[in-house]
Amino acid sequence: MASFDVVNYSLRPSKSIQRQLVFEGVKKLQAQLDLDRLVYVGFGSIWFTDFVLAHKLLGVDDMVSIESNEVGYRRAVFNSPYATVRVRHGFSSAVLPSLYEDEIVRGRPWLVWLDYDKEFNADLKEDVVALVENAPTNSILLVTFNGNEMKYDKAPERPEHLKRLFGSVVPDDLPTRACKDDRMQETLADFSLQMMQSVAADLARPGGFVPAFRLIYRDVAPMVTVGGVLPARGAARIASEVVRAADWPCRPQKPIVAPHLTVREAASLQSRLPCVGRLERADVQALGFDLEDDQLEAFQAYYRHYPAYAQIVA
Amino acid sequence: MITRDISLEDCILDLIDNSVDGAWSQEGSRPMGLADGADLSSYRIEIEAGPEAFVIRDNCGGMTLDAAADHAFSFGRSSLSEHDEYSIGVYGIGMKRAVFKLGSEIRVRSTFTSEDGNRMSFAVPINVIDWLGSDAPPWDFDIVDDDPLDADGVEIVVRSLTQGSSTSFSSPAFLQNLKRTIARDYSFHLLRGLRIFLNGEPVTGWAIELRQSDEFVPVRMEYEDEVEGQPVSIEIIGGMAAPPPESIDPDESEEGDRRYGWYVVCNGRIVLAADKSQITGWGTEGWPQWHYQYAGFIGIIFFTAAKASALPLTTTKRSVDTSSEVYRRARPRMREVSKSWISYTNQRKQALEEARRKENAAVAVPLAAVASRSAVTLPTLVPKPVEKPANINYSVPVTRMKKMAKALGSINMPYREVGLKTFDYAYDDLVGDD
Repeated sequence: MASFDVVNYSLRPSKSIQRQLVFEGVKKLQAQLDLDRLVYVGFGSIWFTDFVLAHKLLGVDDMVSIESNEVGYRRAVFNSPYATVRVRHGFSSAVLPSLYEDEIVRGRPWLVWLDYDKEFNADLKEDVVALVENAPTNSILLVTFNGNEMKYDKAPERPEHLKRLFGSVVPDDLPTRACKDDRMQETLADFSLQMMQSVAADLARPGGFVPAFRLIYRDVAPMVTVGGVLPARGAARIASEVVRAADWPCRPQKPIVAPHLTVREAASLQSRLPCVGRLERADVQALGFDLEDDQLEAFQAYYRHYPAYAQIVA
Repeated sequence: MITRDISLEDCILDLIDNSVDGAWSQEGSRPMGLADGADLSSYRIEIEAGPEAFVIRDNCGGMTLDAAADHAFSFGRSSLSEHDEYSIGVYGIGMKRAVFKLGSEIRVRSTFTSEDGNRMSFAVPINVIDWLGSDAPPWDFDIVDDDPLDADGVEIVVRSLTQGSSTSFSSPAFLQNLKRTIARDYSFHLLRGLRIFLNGEPVTGWAIELRQSDEFVPVRMEYEDEVEGQPVSIEIIGGMAAPPPESIDPDESEEGDRRYGWYVVCNGRIVLAADKSQITGWGTEGWPQWHYQYAGFIGIIFFTAAKASALPLTTTKRSVDTSSEVYRRARPRMREVSKSWISYTNQRKQALEEARRKENAAVAVPLAAVASRSAVTLPTLVPKPVEKPANINYSVPVTRMKKMAKALGSINMPYREVGLKTFDYAYDDLVGDD
């Protein structure tokens, strides 16, 4: 069954926050790098949430959505939000190479977001490696995958499994405990980024690969989003400065785990923000309800990106 | 260009060699055997490799002013003929080609204590582009006064890295592989306590061990040879490092292939590791190609000489010079060790259970604890011949088979069992006891 039949994408608050942080980051890069003719390439599904953000927030016109499912493809074509979105039927491994020669997007910088639900596996690696090798200059590459430890073999076999997946970057003495619980997503994020960096360095890509995105979030499954910039030779320094700045939003220290709040709860908390210092539990209780400390912390950190949902009866 | 024939990794190893030689000479420069109890734990080598700069820093005693003036930073004078006793590095050409390969803005600093007990410091700043631009001799580099380093030692800082160095140092895979190479090639120094750090992380040496029991005893023999009047001592150790693979399917354990084979060690540095090629004899006359069946075997040959020029090294120091006489004379002895293992692995196929029991009873011992012995001892296994089976396959009408099954005691008896029982019945009746 295709994932859009399982989950209504718009109802995942952590996912939504993560997506907005990523676009905020790309906007910062856009201000410094030559990304005027940016192209968006992604998996729009039938919702096209990221495509709408790309168009509205970044001003991207030309966009390509990849859809492998037969019915999903028909529905995606039907739901395509803008005239400049092209839906391509097929697997990413087949569609992506065809884009290198595509007349509309060839030679322009791409913002590619391979937003998978599945775990990092050999197929996914192939897509990522091919993009690091072939994506046009100044492209931005993002990949999201499932970071649940159970998807990566049994605990004692996990270090070996990761060595097969990520190659030389994995140290020979990787301890099993680095592949357990919450550590696993950190480990996956580190190795996948190091692998991309190594691929770019090993083929002497002129500007290399500047790691920029490292976000872990959880609605149901723990997910990992990593990525970076493939800058022109002269732009590498600028890209590094942007992503090293203190206000770079795409490398949060903690996983994004958004609390599920009612519209009323969210609105009343928001009315106390922004504020100097931390919101305390007593403040919430004064508002007339209560939350756990970590829920409160998460809301304060991301309230600007917290989605508001309401049911519409058509 | 002197930098063409050397890889970036080799350059860094060249610089480490120089530091290691420094430490070794501080400890009194003697043959680097296994059991001499040398303690290198007070020495450390720190390497920092990043996209902007490369730094190597040690507390291994420093380079003297004479060495700098006469060998390391002169081009006209002899730079190859003289070097420290029992060294492997060659401060002359090795250092120059290494730093030139890395980048173009170089500062070499050294602090040392002279024979009269004075602490002295100097620096050699090199700008390769300016240096190449002036074609009038002398080509020597300037040596200038400098503040002392914290400890006696050498610090080399290279900036304006070449494009190749810069991209390699931004590759986590390159750095991880470099760490692996250092861990392997300097195992014997690391095991003696030397500490090497790469970008702040300590490098742990490979622990090479052999298994030993009453029936498994590694070989350990020593002899002297000479090259053009220079004595070279040779030591060979070899035997079972791990039981051979259960199956001969090569993908069973990748770990295996990475560690097994021959190691060639020159003045303490591993120059060839886990070799399975013709260099160490495999696939040459009278010696089979390496096969996965031979996994589990480790052989180590140490060449030690006061003069590094007598060692069987290629100029990059990353392999063995197979034309070297001292090496060619060692090969037949290596072959004897390999051959005994090859024949054991052939034999054990006929008596697997017994072999496994004996292999598991052998315990790992560090190389230094292996006693002298002129040949490998391996168990003699009594082959238990397994008779070749004959497969019988025939068809009968199913109703007849069911009747037979019923007659044998159960209508639900599997066809295969009916076949076996009827054969046994007929055999008893017609042939009788074996």
